[in-house]
Amino acid sequence: MSGRGKDFPVPAPETLNPIMLSYIVRRLFFVLFVVWGVTFATFFIAQVVPVDPAIAALGENAREEQLQEFRERYGLNKSKLEQYLIYMGRLLSGDLGQSLRTGRAVAEDLREFFPATLELSLVAFALAVLLGIPAGILASLFPNRAPDVAVRILALLGGATPVFFSAVLLQYLLAQRLDLLPVQGRLDGFLFPPPRVTGMMSLDALLARDWTVFLDSLEHLILPAFVLGMFSAAILARMTRATMLEVLAQDYIRTARAKGAVASSVIFRHALKNASLPILTLLGSLLGGLLSGAVLTETIFSWPGIGRYVTQSATSLDFPAVMGVTLLVGLVYALVNLVTDLLYAFLDPRIRYT
Amino acid sequence: MWRKFQRLASLGIVLGALAVAQDRTSTLIYGGDWSDLITLDPQVAYEFSGGLITDNLYETLVKFEGADLSTLRPGLAESWKVERGGDSWVITFKLRRGSKFSTGREVTAKDVVFSFDRAIQLKGPSSFLFTDIAQLKVGGTRAVDPYTVEVRIPKTASPGSFLSILTFNIGGIVDSEEVQKHAKGGDFGKEWLTNNSAGSGPFRLVRWDRGSQVLLEANPNARLKPKLQRIIMREIKEPTVLRTALESGEIDIAEGLTPEALKAIAANPRFKTLKADSLRLNYMGMNVKPGSPFANPKVREAMRWAVNQDELVSGLVQGNGVKIQTIIPKGLLGYNNALPYKYDPARAKKLLAEAGYPNGFEFELLTSTGLCGGGIPCQDIATKIQSDLAKAGIKANIKAIANAEALKIYRAQSHQVYLGGWSPDFPDPDGNATPLADFTAKSLAWRNVWDDATASKLANQGSLETDPSKRAALYKLLTDYALKSGPYVILYQPSIPLGFSAKVEGYVRNAQGQVRFENISKLP
Repeated sequence: MSGRGKDFPVPAPETLNPIMLSYIVRRLFFVLFVVWGVTFATFFIAQVVPVDPAIAALGENAREEQLQEFRERYGLNKSKLEQYLIYMGRLLSGDLGQSLRTGRAVAEDLREFFPATLELSLVAFALAVLLGIPAGILASLFPNRAPDVAVRILALLGGATPVFFSAVLLQYLLAQRLDLLPVQGRLDGFLFPPPRVTGMMSLDALLARDWTVFLDSLEHLILPAFVLGMFSAAILARMTRATMLEVLAQDYIRTARAKGAVASSVIFRHALKNASLPILTLLGSLLGGLLSGAVLTETIFSWPGIGRYVTQSATSLDFPAVMGVTLLVGLVYALVNLVTDLLYAFLDPRIRYT
Repeated sequence: MWRKFQRLASLGIVLGALAVAQDRTSTLIYGGDWSDLITLDPQVAYEFSGGLITDNLYETLVKFEGADLSTLRPGLAESWKVERGGDSWVITFKLRRGSKFSTGREVTAKDVVFSFDRAIQLKGPSSFLFTDIAQLKVGGTRAVDPYTVEVRIPKTASPGSFLSILTFNIGGIVDSEEVQKHAKGGDFGKEWLTNNSAGSGPFRLVRWDRGSQVLLEANPNARLKPKLQRIIMREIKEPTVLRTALESGEIDIAEGLTPEALKAIAANPRFKTLKADSLRLNYMGMNVKPGSPFANPKVREAMRWAVNQDELVSGLVQGNGVKIQTIIPKGLLGYNNALPYKYDPARAKKLLAEAGYPNGFEFELLTSTGLCGGGIPCQDIATKIQSDLAKAGIKANIKAIANAEALKIYRAQSHQVYLGGWSPDFPDPDGNATPLADFTAKSLAWRNVWDDATASKLANQGSLETDPSKRAALYKLLTDYALKSGPYVILYQPSIPLGFSAKVEGYVRNAQGQVRFENISKLP
C-alpha cells in the first residue's frame, strides 16, 4: 500500500491495545449470552408442539411398551424443567446429547453434515462477493445509464426469484438440456470419493491430490452455489451501488479528482475504502445466513448439509438434534458478527477509540 | 520426444476412457429418498431403506425369491423342519457348508446363535418381532453342531410367522467373531455395525456418507456372486430432481417418481418403468365405540358403498396403486380378491335409513398432512372421499394434522374416522390379520374399538396353523368376515413407482420391498 499521500492520518497499527482487548472480551461474553438465549428459546418453543416425539420416532406400528421404553431411555417422561436442566448440565460438559432419530451423538451428526454446508456456503459467498461488489461498483459509476439499469434488473431477478424456481430452471437448462453440469449430489456416482479429512469434498480431493475428483466436485458445486449465492449477490450489488454513490458525491472525492488522481485510484482507494464499512456489515450477516444451512438448495441439489438435517430432525421432533444445530448456527452467527465488528474497528479508527 | 509423449498421452486417454466405460457397466447408481436410513446394522435397522440395503449385505437362513412371498426357499439353511416338542415348537435348520462371510470365515451355527441372541439383547425397534411375535428368548437358539441350529419357541407363537420374520433383515446372520472384536461396553458391536458390515451377502459395505450415498462393493467371498461390482445408493429427496437425474444419466434407477414423471418416462424408449407391489394398505378406520354411529354395522357397510374406489384409484392414485377391499394385501397367503362394494350412494342411503339415520350424519375425518401410499397427499384422498360421501348424505369434516399428532389421537381411540396406511411388520398374513382383527393385540382393531370374538378367534387360529392350505382357508373366513362387518374401508394397495435406464436388467422387487441386487446387471 504505497501511495501518494494519505487522506486522513492513519495511526500506526497497534495490535491489541487494552481498550481493544477489553472490547474483545466483552464481545466474547456477549456471544456466550446469545448462545444461552438461543438454547432457552429453542427449548421452550419446542415444548409448545403438541406431538409426542416417541410416536414421531417410532411410527404407526409402534407398540405401547416400545413407546414407554423410548420415553424412558431419552428422559422424555421427566418434567420439562428437569429435561432442560439435564440438557444444560450435559451441554456444559460439552455433550450435545443423542439424536432421538438416528440414535447417534448429535456432535457426530453435526461433524458429518456441517462441512457440506460450510463448503457450499463459502463458495456461494465467494461467488456473491465476486459478482455482487463489482456489479455494484459498475452501476455506481454509471448511475441511471445502461450498466446501472442492467445491474438493477439482474439484481431484481436475483433477489426476487425463489430458490426452488431458479434451481429447477437452471437444472433443466444447464444440466438436462445442455448437459453441461450435474443435477445433484457432490460427486459423480462413478467416481470414488476421497478419504474424509475435512468433510469438504473439494478440499479432501485436493488433499488426496485426486484431480479428477477435485474437478468433478467443483462442477457439482457450481449450480447450487450459484443458486444459493444469487440472492446475496443481488443484495450486495444494490448495497455497494448505494454506498458508492453516496461516497462518490462527497467533497473529498471531488478534491481527489481535482488534484488529478487517477480514476482507478479515486474509485478503489478513496471511494471504495470508505464505502466498505456498510458493505462489511452486510457481508457478515450474509455469510452468517449462508452458514446456517439452506434447506431448499440442499434439498433440491441433494446436498447433505445441516439445513436438510435440521428439517428432518424438526419434523420428527428430534429435540437434541434441533438444539445442536441451533446452537451451532447461533455460535457461527455470533462469531461471524464478532469478526465483522473487529474488522470494522480495524478499518475505522473512530470505533476503536470509543 | 514430443511426438512420443503425444502418442502416449492419447493412448492414456483411450485407456482411461475404456476403464471408465467398463466401470460404468459394472457400477449401478440407484437413486431414491433414503433419508430414513439411520443404521446398517441388520439387527437394528427397521427403516425401509435400511432393510433394502442390509438385505444385500447379510444372508438369512430362509428367504423369499423373486416376487413370491408365499413360498420359503433355502438361504443359509439348506433345509429346515418344524416339530412339536412338549410345550414348544422346535425348528431345526441344517446349514449349508462353505458359505463365507466377507471376512473369509465360514458361516456356522454359532454365528446364527449369536445373531439371534444379539437381536433380542439389542432391543432394537424390530426386536419385538423376535420377542413378542415369535416369543423367542435368549438361549432359545442352540447350536447342535457347527451346521445344525435348533430354535425353540412356545406353543402360543406361530412358527409360520417366525419363519417369515427370518426372511427379514433382523434374521441376517453376522460374523460373530468379527462383530465381537468391535464390541464396546456391551453394545454387541452395535456402534461398529452401524457403518460397517460383516455378512455373507453378495455385497459388502464400503462407506456410507450420511445424507448423500451408500457405497456397496461385491463381496469377494460370497456364495452368491453378483453381476455388478459396485452399487451406489444415491440419496435424492426431491421427486423432480430424481427424474432429471435419471434422464441425464446420473442415476440408473429412480425410485419414488411422481405419477406424471412415470408416465413421461414410460413414453421414452431410453427408459423402462415398473410399478412394484407393496404390502401397504391405505384405509379408513371407523371407531365403533358405543354411542358412535359406526357402532352400527349397517353404517359401516353404508360407508363402504359410499366411497368411489374406482375413481380414487384411476383418477387420484393414477395407477400407483391397485383396488382392494379385504384386509390381507395382495402378495401374501390369504389374500382375498373379493370386491363386492361398488359406488352406490342410493344403497348407502337406504342402509343409513335402516340404521336410523334417514338424514345422514356428520363426522370428523382425521388424517395426516403428509403423503399417503403411492405418493399422494392424504388430504387429497380425504377430499375425494368427502365429496363421494356427501352424495350419500354423509358429511365428513376433514381434520388434517401432522402425522405423529394424528397417530397420537388414533392410538388413544379418540378419533371418529382415521384415514391412513398400514404395512405388516413381516411378510406373513398374520402381520395384518392379528393387528386388524384381534382386539387383544392392542393394535388397529383395538384403536377402532372393534372387540369381536369371531374375528379374534379366526386371527389366532390362522396365526398358529402350520398347514398352508388350512391356513389359507382360515384367512378366507376372516377376510370375508371383516369385509362384511369390520371397522375398515380398505381404499387401495399402493405400488412403488420406479424408472430405469433401458440398460438395467434383472431388477425384481417383492412386495416386502426386498430387491436382490446380485441379480441386477447393466448392458454396455
